[in-house]
Amino acid sequence: MEYVQEVLWILAKIVALILPLFGVVAYLTYAERKVLGWMHHRKGPNRIGFGGLLQPLADAGKMLMKEVMIPAQADKALFVLAPIMAFAPALAAWAVIPFGDGLVVADINVGLLYLLAMTSLGVYGFILAGWSANSKYSMLGAMRTGAQVVSYEIAMGFALVGVLMASGTMNLSDIVRAQEGPFWHWYWLPLFPIFLVYWIAAVAETNRAPFDVAEGESEIVAGYQVEYSGISFGIFFLAEYANMILIGALASVMFFGGWYSPFHGIPVIGPIFDLIPGPIWFIAKIAFFLFLYIWIRATFPRYRYDQIMRLGWKVLIPVTVVWLVVESIFVLTGFGPWF
Amino acid sequence: MQLIIFYVFAAVLLFAGAMVVSSRNPVHAAMFLVLAFFNGAALWLLAEAEFLGVALVLVYVGAVMVLFLFVVMMLDINVSSMRQGFARYLPIGIAVAAVMVLEMILVLGSDQINVVAATAGGETAVGSNIRAIGSVLYTVYLYPFELAAMILLLAIIAAILLTHRRRGGTKHQDPTAQAKVRAEDRVRLVQMQAVQRRQPSNNEAGAKE
Amino acid sequence: MIELSHYLVLGALLFSIGVAGIFMNRKNAIVLLMSIELILLSVNINFIGFSHFLGDLAGQVFVFFVLTVAAAEAAIGLAILVVVFRNRSTINVGDLDSMKG
Repeated sequence: MEYVQEVLWILAKIVALILPLFGVVAYLTYAERKVLGWMHHRKGPNRIGFGGLLQPLADAGKMLMKEVMIPAQADKALFVLAPIMAFAPALAAWAVIPFGDGLVVADINVGLLYLLAMTSLGVYGFILAGWSANSKYSMLGAMRTGAQVVSYEIAMGFALVGVLMASGTMNLSDIVRAQEGPFWHWYWLPLFPIFLVYWIAAVAETNRAPFDVAEGESEIVAGYQVEYSGISFGIFFLAEYANMILIGALASVMFFGGWYSPFHGIPVIGPIFDLIPGPIWFIAKIAFFLFLYIWIRATFPRYRYDQIMRLGWKVLIPVTVVWLVVESIFVLTGFGPWF
Repeated sequence: MQLIIFYVFAAVLLFAGAMVVSSRNPVHAAMFLVLAFFNGAALWLLAEAEFLGVALVLVYVGAVMVLFLFVVMMLDINVSSMRQGFARYLPIGIAVAAVMVLEMILVLGSDQINVVAATAGGETAVGSNIRAIGSVLYTVYLYPFELAAMILLLAIIAAILLTHRRRGGTKHQDPTAQAKVRAEDRVRLVQMQAVQRRQPSNNEAGAKE
Repeated sequence: MIELSHYLVLGALLFSIGVAGIFMNRKNAIVLLMSIELILLSVNINFIGFSHFLGDLAGQVFVFFVLTVAAAEAAIGLAILVVVFRNRSTINVGDLDSMKG
């Protein structure tokens, strides 16, 4: 009986987490189009609903109604499985993200490692999608994605090592607690180069512009997802945006103090800002990073493939390694309020 | 309850293992191996080895199996010729496996193992598994740890050396040379007189006529 | 209640599957490598089982080292396979007989 109750409680928490996530993903696509439009001096979607607010629902409806086509020469089982394998890790990783003090589905001690493992699983969906479709464009896109994601994972892992050294724990809630204080207590300041590396690697991990050669429409149409249609294409879409939100959440947990307000601990204004509950600060930070994604997309031209690989291996990884050495000196000397 | 979970994961693990060795397509075999590693990791979590369980997923599923998939997809393997002899060696394979299972069960069924198991202590359950492993790994096992790092470095260098080759005739850019370029190297400023006005008279007048 | 013998029997079964795989796929070098990975996994399961039920961390540390060495082995093995395929355009173990061994 206790088991049943516990399992039901966990299920309830998962549903309470995932259902809003779907809504956020839908409206993230809307926000992206609106913000891009604003940056391009045009209006973006503005016809359906109240100023275009119902556009995501219309898009979802369209995708659900379309036929899911499976190429004749495709490996059918893997072709159907691939979108799910791309999407599932992006959802599973949310289990360890703390929204507030104690507001987390699974408060495990290996949280950071678990996150790294889950983000590295998404690549299977892309590789399998490209291979199983039995098409040259898909295959090329899959190879590009696979090589890119695996390369940037190394830089990202090293960046996480930096956070791990600073906080001395892999539990994400404890990482946030280690950053308690106003915004200059957060890890982005002492770990600034590592934060930059993390962010660049994160944009590359999610295959977003300017690192979106995997689906570069001017070169290989849509890369690994070229043969997908209808809802199976939609799931790839969902996976990409869910990953973006996850990366934003990770950045705010590890470098931007999670659920703490930016003025926490300052004598007069600190308590005023603390009135706003932690989860709202956390969501606001995620929203900032999502805006950063869109801003970057609207600003930078696409990298060439060899440039991406060069940046990942020859620039980002050495930068992180050097800064890890610097950071170890910080840790030994107990530098500043951070260590 | 734990036992049921154990049996489920163990059954899926064995099924996946059997599919790895028997599936026709190497890509399918690789995916079943991924499934096997997943279930193995879950079983390790049941044994409270949480660090290694997640590390298994991270290292094997996240990196090694991606490498496998890459190689399988890049090499244009003739699957049917690879399968020749599969049926012929099937009986001997099964026979060897059966003999080994029998022997091991004989060993496991003997009394010594059960005596050892009876002394089970819950020492690993105390505190964080990562902290416990770390405190041993960096003190008692420091030299093996450094050695493992050297092995990994060796593997990196060996893999790059083996597969890297410079192909002739490829066009590539030298980014440092590109960055070093200055205007003086590319553009030559020439002192010239300004263009003089042509005399409009003779030619044009002749053409019109 | 899970006992040590559960883990040991599972390890034994998986080990024999891996060995049978080596026997049955004697031509395809990639599947051979995968069978070796299965065998290593079964060994690691035994280590973890012993470590848990004897309350000794040494088993887990050993698994850690097995993981590193196995990862290195897989990387080099695959690199060798790629080179072999590049030179002979086959990875059929039966065709690699230029040394008349």
